[in-house]
Amino acid sequence: MRKRIIGAGVVAGLVAVLAGGAGLAAPKAPPHLSYTADQAAAGAQVYAVRCAMCHGRRMEGTLETPALTGKFVANWAGRPVGDLPAYLARAMPQFAPGSLTGDEAVRLTAFILQANGYAAGARPLGAAERINLPLPPPIVAPRQ
Amino acid sequence: MARRSVLVGAGGMGALAGLGAAAPARAAGLIPPAGAGMRPTLYPMRVGLDQLIDVKCCIRPLRAAGPNLSAEMIGDRLVVHNYGHGGSGWSLSWGSAEIAVGKALSVLPRDVAVVGCGIIGLTTAVVAQRAGLKVTIYARELIQRTRSFRASGSFTPDSRVALAEPAGAAFGDLWEQMARLSWKTFRTYLGLPGNPVEFGDSWALSDTPIEKRHWPADPAITDSFATKGVPVQNSEFGHYNERIKDIVPQAVDVPAEENPFAKPYVQRSSQMYFNFSSYGHTLLQEFFERGGRFVNRDFHSPAEYAQLPEKVVINCTGYAARDLWGDKTIIPVRGQTGWLVPQPDAHYAVRYHNVSVHSKADGVVVMNNNPDIGEMLGVGNSMELPDRSGIEEALKIIAPALAPATAGRV
Repeated sequence: MRKRIIGAGVVAGLVAVLAGGAGLAAPKAPPHLSYTADQAAAGAQVYAVRCAMCHGRRMEGTLETPALTGKFVANWAGRPVGDLPAYLARAMPQFAPGSLTGDEAVRLTAFILQANGYAAGARPLGAAERINLPLPPPIVAPRQ
Repeated sequence: MARRSVLVGAGGMGALAGLGAAAPARAAGLIPPAGAGMRPTLYPMRVGLDQLIDVKCCIRPLRAAGPNLSAEMIGDRLVVHNYGHGGSGWSLSWGSAEIAVGKALSVLPRDVAVVGCGIIGLTTAVVAQRAGLKVTIYARELIQRTRSFRASGSFTPDSRVALAEPAGAAFGDLWEQMARLSWKTFRTYLGLPGNPVEFGDSWALSDTPIEKRHWPADPAITDSFATKGVPVQNSEFGHYNERIKDIVPQAVDVPAEENPFAKPYVQRSSQMYFNFSSYGHTLLQEFFERGGRFVNRDFHSPAEYAQLPEKVVINCTGYAARDLWGDKTIIPVRGQTGWLVPQPDAHYAVRYHNVSVHSKADGVVVMNNNPDIGEMLGVGNSMELPDRSGIEEALKIIAPALAPATAGRV
């Protein structure tokens, strides 16, 4: 999964270099993943009430319940982001699947993205987001 | 734990009559007494709250028609299903794997993928390897973090495994095939280092004569699985244990001179059970020694099975199949166990009222299952958070019942 994503990035980079080298107009930047800080804040409120009891106040999970950070990226990277709110809306919370509204599921997704290091932006996240989940920002801090 | 042999207070004439009939034969020397006339000495079991080290909860994947062992094509991949074993996954694991792998072998593969690494997935993978196949398991977790490790771990092959009517008469034969093959395979693990499978005495204690509980259909209840999509009374559940009572030890009445407890009515049975830590380790060891590969992967739709390199996939996703495969015929049945510090010297199990304690290698498992609710307990409940209070209540109920027949004798 990760190799494919990195591979795709390299190919995109090469295309950009080639395009630039050939003197063509700069290609239009591909759409990037975006959600708003307001969506994430609203998602945090939903999370506290509907999710934290199982997944933990800090999304840390337990031996039995998946954490929503860390391995989360490996489980979802490279998949359309819209699959995540769709999954939440039909399968979560496990004790009452189907009880989240579509809006709540999208806000929760924004909150989870934020917790995994993806930066908020100006464009709100939509339920039908087809962008594949990219790798999060690097976890290695630059050397001082 | 033999869940259906439940203690009841009223109408114990059957049990008394049974004792009465056995007594003359025993006196005539025809039938040896169950325990050779000696009162066994049991090491005391500590059941104080200070011993509680874990409370675990899990969901049994009940399918009204019994486990899904069908096959289908996803793209050009043959997918053989092996999920939905209710409270009988451990107990039927070898027989069920034999059937699923047999179907996979029908297209002569050299390698297969197994999705899921609970007791069904891991056993299926090993059975496929023993059939000469190269196997890769794709799963979110190894067995130690799956729901299988949150079971109680006793041989209970017909616990919430099917509903009698939707499963149909033919399921009984299939069930018996799976149960017998599993039972014999478990016997090959007896006595191995770490005791992955063991037998122990299970004592049922009562203040009143013990008789087997039956669940006749309540004619006042007109709804059923057919109208509600879930069972609404105990009589709907399929029971098949009678079919294998020739090999599975049944409960026997314990005469007063052999009763190690202070309670007046006692039955003893020999219970086969699984020690999770050792069993999981033993199975994983065989899987990897045979060249098995484990790939950490989370699936989000059945279409992703078509992306796997293997042309044959055995789907062992348990309760997760409800969402992943959209199988809404899976009914969640919640169960909960408490775990006390391991007490290897107190090597037995006790049941009294709604409580059981069972000393296993990985701890003393405590259950608090109301016998008046029977198989309906937890039906439709997918809340997997533990509730400690139920276990605390159980320990308070069972503690006085564990008193020995003669104070200070042990």
